[in-house]
Amino acid sequence: MKRSVKCTKTLAAVLAAAMLLALTACGSKEDGQAPSEGTVSSLTEQDSGEQSAAEDSAEDAAKEEDGSVTVTDMMGRTVTLEEPATRVVALTPSDCEILYAIGAGDTLVGRGTYCDYPADVLEVPEVDSGSETNMEQILALEPQVLLMSTMSQTEEQAKQLEDAGVHVVISDAQDIDGVYTAIEMIGTLMGKDEEAAAVIDGMKASFAEIEEKSTGDGSQTVYFEVSPLEYGLWAAGSNTFMDEVADMMGLTNCFADLDGWASVSEEQVLERNPDYIVTITMYYGEGPLPEEEIMARPGWENVTAVKNKAILNLQNNELSRPAPRLAEGAKMLFDFVYGATE
Amino acid sequence: MLNVKDLSVRLGQKQILDSLSFSVREGHWLMVVGPNGAGKSTLINAVTRNVAYTGTVLFEGEDIRRKKPAELARCMGVLAQTHETAYSFSVEEVARLGRYAHSPGFLSRGGEGDRAAVEDALTVTGMWNRRNRSILTLSGGELQRTFLAQVFAQDPKLLLLDEPTNHLDPAYQKQVFDLIADWVKKPGRAVLSVIHDLSLARAYGTEVMLLDRGKILAGGDAEEVLTPENLERVYGMNVYGWMREMLSLWKDPEETGTGDGV
Amino acid sequence: MKSHRERFSAPEYLFFAALTVAVLCLCVCIGSVNIPLGETLSVFWDALSSFVQKFLFHKPADFPEGTVSSILLTVRLPRVLCVALSGAALSLAGAAMQGLLKNPLADGSTLGVSSGAALGAVIAIAFGITFPSLPFAGTMVMAVIFAFLSLLILLALAEKLDRSLSTGTIILIGVIYSMFVSSLMSIVITFAQDRVRHITFWTMGSLQGRGYADAAVLLGALVLFGGIILFHARELNAFAVGEENARHIGVNVRRVKLTLLIAVSGLIGICVSIGGVIGFVGLVTPHMLRMLTGPNHRRLLPASLFGGACFLMLADLVARILLNPRELNIGIVTSLAGAVVFVFIFYRTRRGSGC
Repeated sequence: MKRSVKCTKTLAAVLAAAMLLALTACGSKEDGQAPSEGTVSSLTEQDSGEQSAAEDSAEDAAKEEDGSVTVTDMMGRTVTLEEPATRVVALTPSDCEILYAIGAGDTLVGRGTYCDYPADVLEVPEVDSGSETNMEQILALEPQVLLMSTMSQTEEQAKQLEDAGVHVVISDAQDIDGVYTAIEMIGTLMGKDEEAAAVIDGMKASFAEIEEKSTGDGSQTVYFEVSPLEYGLWAAGSNTFMDEVADMMGLTNCFADLDGWASVSEEQVLERNPDYIVTITMYYGEGPLPEEEIMARPGWENVTAVKNKAILNLQNNELSRPAPRLAEGAKMLFDFVYGATE
Repeated sequence: MLNVKDLSVRLGQKQILDSLSFSVREGHWLMVVGPNGAGKSTLINAVTRNVAYTGTVLFEGEDIRRKKPAELARCMGVLAQTHETAYSFSVEEVARLGRYAHSPGFLSRGGEGDRAAVEDALTVTGMWNRRNRSILTLSGGELQRTFLAQVFAQDPKLLLLDEPTNHLDPAYQKQVFDLIADWVKKPGRAVLSVIHDLSLARAYGTEVMLLDRGKILAGGDAEEVLTPENLERVYGMNVYGWMREMLSLWKDPEETGTGDGV
Repeated sequence: MKSHRERFSAPEYLFFAALTVAVLCLCVCIGSVNIPLGETLSVFWDALSSFVQKFLFHKPADFPEGTVSSILLTVRLPRVLCVALSGAALSLAGAAMQGLLKNPLADGSTLGVSSGAALGAVIAIAFGITFPSLPFAGTMVMAVIFAFLSLLILLALAEKLDRSLSTGTIILIGVIYSMFVSSLMSIVITFAQDRVRHITFWTMGSLQGRGYADAAVLLGALVLFGGIILFHARELNAFAVGEENARHIGVNVRRVKLTLLIAVSGLIGICVSIGGVIGFVGLVTPHMLRMLTGPNHRRLLPASLFGGACFLMLADLVARILLNPRELNIGIVTSLAGAVVFVFIFYRTRRGSGC
């Protein structure tokens, strides 16, 4: 079971350091010293600098006059390509979603096993991902860039691919700001900066709208169920996208005392008595719907959300992936809680 | 008591036993001797239905193939050569298992008869005082006597022994054989035993059967069977001469010892 | 060496039953949500009295309502009952296997029988094998069948490799078979990802969310298959002394072995289909109790029944409250305890293998 754990401080530090580095690299180029193309710096870590300044100029800084692109990925590694990438393998579902969102879906030549959105992605050749990541499969597709997350792949694997001439770019968003960074980074990499900016603006706008329209004062609680009772309850705690979204609309995540995704006791759910329940259990076309299953659970009839039938199923990972669809998921939750606005 | 006719056992291509016919009569102790690989142990296995055989084995006129396991166990008991123990059962618990065949049902309770039989068997074998000992702590001889108590408690009519004292020291050998010799004296009992030691066979057996490569070479009185010629043929050596030689090693020091000493 | 009586005496039964009830009460009173003892008792008193009113005197009566009674009556109590029954069933099955195979390390989890049962359940879910009238019977039947097949395969392997089934062989075969089964399970899950995603449930086991219906199924299995095992205590004694010896004293070796294997598969299969693989229960409890009751199955089996229930209830209690409000899988707790006992037994059998 995967967890999204945020380590904002370290991440921010690394990011800032990385962007500073990009700045300096750029500055030196203006002096006429072009960096050797296609090189990938190994993991770079530096003490943090002024974060905001770095962020503001990151986008511009990455673009080169000779058409080459340089990005600093989310592990602080700098990657320079001669030209925007045209052949990409993405192992994480969220990266695939970002690629399609910025209109670069056609560059995808391979996708990880669990990538399933949008439907078009399913036609892209599949490569094993996660613990079974298969280097040969990836190399056979001759990509210029491999997008992956830190969660599933090891540094050794990244090294191996780099030695074989594939640029490895790591996206590792732990919160919504991180998602913006990832979109921006991928946009630069694909030469689709405007599209990426548009996607980010769209997300920001819908989040802003939600935040503005939400009337919640934190008194109402929501329980995010990420694994159903049958297989052992798991809830999303703090430092998750779900928690962030709940916060945004003035709801309190009733398991905010736990970090990340955590297995929880059934008794605790009853005791905490959430006003809303959001489940992400997929429905496979047989048996009761996930919402119905929750309502039918013995002993749950006293839970406010069950009494009010206030259960939402977001079964397509809308709120669990660091991807543009977070905005859609947030909208769905907003409509569910405050009623549809349109 | 036991009538065996045309008993043959085949293991793959190998003919282990080749149409043996013999019988064990009440009150007798039949010793089956022969070199390694003659088929002695297979004979016991066949008679206890542990290996597939052709021919007929009749117990008191009835085919043993038609008997249920418990029924067969009331007719014939087996004392094996060695016993591998894993759990700390007590001597008495092992002996009491011997009564299984007399009440094999689910709900049977041990009756007075069962208790008496077990007590008797433990007393006869000299294990009564050690009845609460764990079998894991017993010496080889004590363990063998424990299982002897079990088979006595089982109270079969025919006792089958497979090299029962092979690994025991002479004192235990004598104990076990004496106990069995006493046991067989009671009416309605008989013993069939497979044995290597020709001296023991001769000393305790009432009849001897000499087996060689799955066939009976000779059977009957020990005198008639264990002749120097027969043994020479089977073992390929002068058994008599060798035994005499061995014995001479013993006699001399003993005689001089008693003469010189005290 | 102290002497043990042949059977369980009435006071001993009473003691074990009282202990089990005490542990059950403890496990119902303590949980993730802290409910004061007085409130707990009053909920149970109300439930009991309304139950009596309704079913004995046919008077209309309301069962207690509210969050507290939901937690106690519909979440905690049925779960604790399921845990107790699973514990009893698994440890009885373990004791039977240890007797049958004459090896104190034999157990559903060490041999891979539980994994085999889990594979059956996963296949049933992956390929949608169900019986129309009984929604959960598909996984259950498949789990039982696979447990039985696993036992047959294991015995055949043991026969070929080492007839005496020494401790080393048992462990080796168990490890090999478990690995084999887990790779098969991975293959099935790869093919049917969307249906069977929760592999951890099957490999680590949990009885969260189990209800009275599950408890009833477990009770039925325990009465039927557990009954068969309890009635074969003498035969198990004979097998524990030695299979050859069992044959010689008149045990119908083939029939008894088959019957016991079916009963063991039934217990393990049904437990796995309800709670996943909960390892080492069948290893730990019979072993501890053997020190108390001796190896005689007439005493060991009933003791395992109660002892297994107590052990698993306590393990579940730890799983429920150790990291409150988080919850551990019960299998993690039993495996932790089991691994230690396993090493201990292995050490002892190795040192004492001279006899």
